[in-house]
Amino acid sequence: MEQLAVKVEGLVVNYGSFIAVNHASFSVRNGEIYGLLGPNGAGKTSTIKVLAGVLTPASGKVEILGKSFSNEVATKSQIGYVPEEVVLFDSLTPREFLEFASSIRRLEPDTVNPRLEKLTSAFELGQYFDTPIAALSMGNKQKVAIIAALLHDPKILIFDEPLIGLDARSSKILKELVTFHAKKGGSVVFSTHIMEIAEKLCTRVGIINKGEIASEGTVDDLRKLVKSAEGSLEDIFLKVTEQETGMQDIIRALESE
Amino acid sequence: MRFSELWRLSGTVYNEVSFQSIFSLRAGSLLKQRGKTDIERLVNSARVNALISKVLTAIFIAVFGLFVFIPSTVNAPWTLSRELAFVGGVSAFLAGVLFLIAFMGLQVATSFVSSKVVDVLGPLPLSKNDVSKIVFLCLLRVFDLPLISAHVVFLAAYLAIGGSILGALIAVVCIFATEIFALVLTIGLADFFYSRVARGGRSKWQVLTRFLFMLVWILPTFAAYFIMSFSGTIVQSFASFAQSLSSLLQVLVLVYPFSFGFLMAHATFPSGFDNPSLGLSFAASIGYVAASVYGLRWIAKTAGRIGTSQIVARKVEAMKDTLIRPRIPWLGIIQKDLRVASRTPSYASLFLLPFVQSAFLAVSFSYGEVDLTKTFGTLVGVSMMTLLLPPTLLSIEGISSAYVKSLPMKKKSLILAKTSLSVGIYLLSLIIALAVSLYRRQDLSLIATFGFIHTLSVSAAAMLEVTILTNRFWKEGFAVGNLYSRLSNYILILILGFVVVLLPIVAAFTAFILAPHLVLPVFAAIACVEFAVMVAVASRVS
Repeated sequence: MEQLAVKVEGLVVNYGSFIAVNHASFSVRNGEIYGLLGPNGAGKTSTIKVLAGVLTPASGKVEILGKSFSNEVATKSQIGYVPEEVVLFDSLTPREFLEFASSIRRLEPDTVNPRLEKLTSAFELGQYFDTPIAALSMGNKQKVAIIAALLHDPKILIFDEPLIGLDARSSKILKELVTFHAKKGGSVVFSTHIMEIAEKLCTRVGIINKGEIASEGTVDDLRKLVKSAEGSLEDIFLKVTEQETGMQDIIRALESE
Repeated sequence: MRFSELWRLSGTVYNEVSFQSIFSLRAGSLLKQRGKTDIERLVNSARVNALISKVLTAIFIAVFGLFVFIPSTVNAPWTLSRELAFVGGVSAFLAGVLFLIAFMGLQVATSFVSSKVVDVLGPLPLSKNDVSKIVFLCLLRVFDLPLISAHVVFLAAYLAIGGSILGALIAVVCIFATEIFALVLTIGLADFFYSRVARGGRSKWQVLTRFLFMLVWILPTFAAYFIMSFSGTIVQSFASFAQSLSSLLQVLVLVYPFSFGFLMAHATFPSGFDNPSLGLSFAASIGYVAASVYGLRWIAKTAGRIGTSQIVARKVEAMKDTLIRPRIPWLGIIQKDLRVASRTPSYASLFLLPFVQSAFLAVSFSYGEVDLTKTFGTLVGVSMMTLLLPPTLLSIEGISSAYVKSLPMKKKSLILAKTSLSVGIYLLSLIIALAVSLYRRQDLSLIATFGFIHTLSVSAAAMLEVTILTNRFWKEGFAVGNLYSRLSNYILILILGFVVVLLPIVAAFTAFILAPHLVLPVFAAIACVEFAVMVAVASRVS
């Protein structure tokens, strides 16, 4: 039986009395790019944080390459994570931050430096390498987090809205890197609001709404499911998340002002 | 815009700055992982913490005025001139107020200078002038209680010792000037730090600059501590020096805060000094008042710069290469902590406090032999100050929790790193105490022997604190909001650490009374056992 890259069963995340994720279940196979879509506050980021080991769920089962987070060091070693809101050590420079991340990951200079050189060059971060992170733009902070996530060549990439803030060039490079990673047999789980990207990039998508996986499959599967074969992923998304109803009325009301 | 409206808005900005300086900036994005009630509790807690800080500074000023200024002027030894003792008392009080306010201000000043709240004010339909006024009023809110208490205490203390009306008026002016100097010092250091020092750079020169700046940064802490600890001695030394060396008077009369001291002494004891010294102190005081008025304008101008976001962290030159040098995990954590602390004054000042404590204790040995009592006193002071560090060191992990928690970090690496850093600071403090003793030509053997053996106890205590805190907050995150919001937990953990470092000292003291030849063996045996037990406990952490 093929080992799954990511397996989530009955995941529940709550903040006080608010339930952010409600018994969500899905899986990601090796070589797959899995897109997690959903409206604001649907539970995407909470799910992603649990997969990255940043957040402990209230209940449910999460396995990364067959291992649970009970052995968190081994599990986290397999993951490269880019958070939605990049909050790094502002007083450090990218060089110092990456040095810290590489130390924790026990990377050898001989392995890490050639890879780092390629990545900094690809994302054009070199000129900011000794600038405090506090002084970097949002996009450059995002690049630091992306490089830190790729530095150890992890098997699984977990990205939360990775393209936000990136310029067109870096965005294109990241998409190519993600595709190449999946071709090599690695897996990617990422959340996004940009439907075109999800449509082009993802092998499968999961639409999360009100903390539950409302629909899951390839874009074609979803089209069949919502009986809208011609519709774009955006149309499918709006139907699945029940946001389509009344939207025309709202748009007309806004235009009539 | 009406003043009442500006004042109301400045309250919102003030609450945000307090929150940022205490919790938000050090909580990473973990705040989002908390429930609404929990965050509301943190916001209230930040407000209370800011108020406590202001009340404490005000109390320190009151205590300093009532128990140092009055006694030093009223109970001066008969051999000293009453007038000179008064000058010394006034000068010590003014210097104390200057450094106490600066010390308090520096804890929030970088958050204030780099405040992101002005980004929120900027797009609102407010004129630049209004934004500047709001920022200025916010600054006054940060310091309101200490500023008011300095005025009230100084005036009350002065009138209590039978001062004149003219002297009281001068007192109001000198306190005003002193407060302005304190604000200029605070805002100036924070502005310089944020715009020039808090930047990267690997060159030795840049590292040295950061280190030197940190030393300057803790100067107010050092000075406040020094003046409050030795004010009586300072007043007496000043008066006896000035009495025996009259030429010194001609110079001191021109120097702040002595000029104000001389002027108030003239107003209190009109026949105490000659006319030239009165003229010089008057001229110098006018100069200092003019400087304070200029300082006030500079503060208002800087508030305007903050309000219009003109203070930005400078960028450094282009880099030469992209090479990094990863270390083993626990060394990597220590390296990161030292880097963060070298660019974050509130952390740096806490790192340096044990050194300051150690140097003062060594200085306070005064003359004579360093006996067992003095040795144990030093070890108690330095070790307890060192044990305040582990929670602070762990709170550094909270800065970027939302990311760092995704790294495959082992609890053991974290415990080893934080314990090693705490013990390293203890050892450096000990070396400073030894160096001061050596300079004073005192016997080092007791401090050296017991101090180095006590390292085992300090290691055990630091390890105990770090282990408990790590186990307690590993999943929740090490945000300051977590570590310090439950004070009962925090204090309990500190007490446990204190018990561990005090145990060998109490046992050795008991042995000293019952069987003096067993002092060292008892002390060493208990320290070794504590260390061995804690190593065994920490090594079982998974």
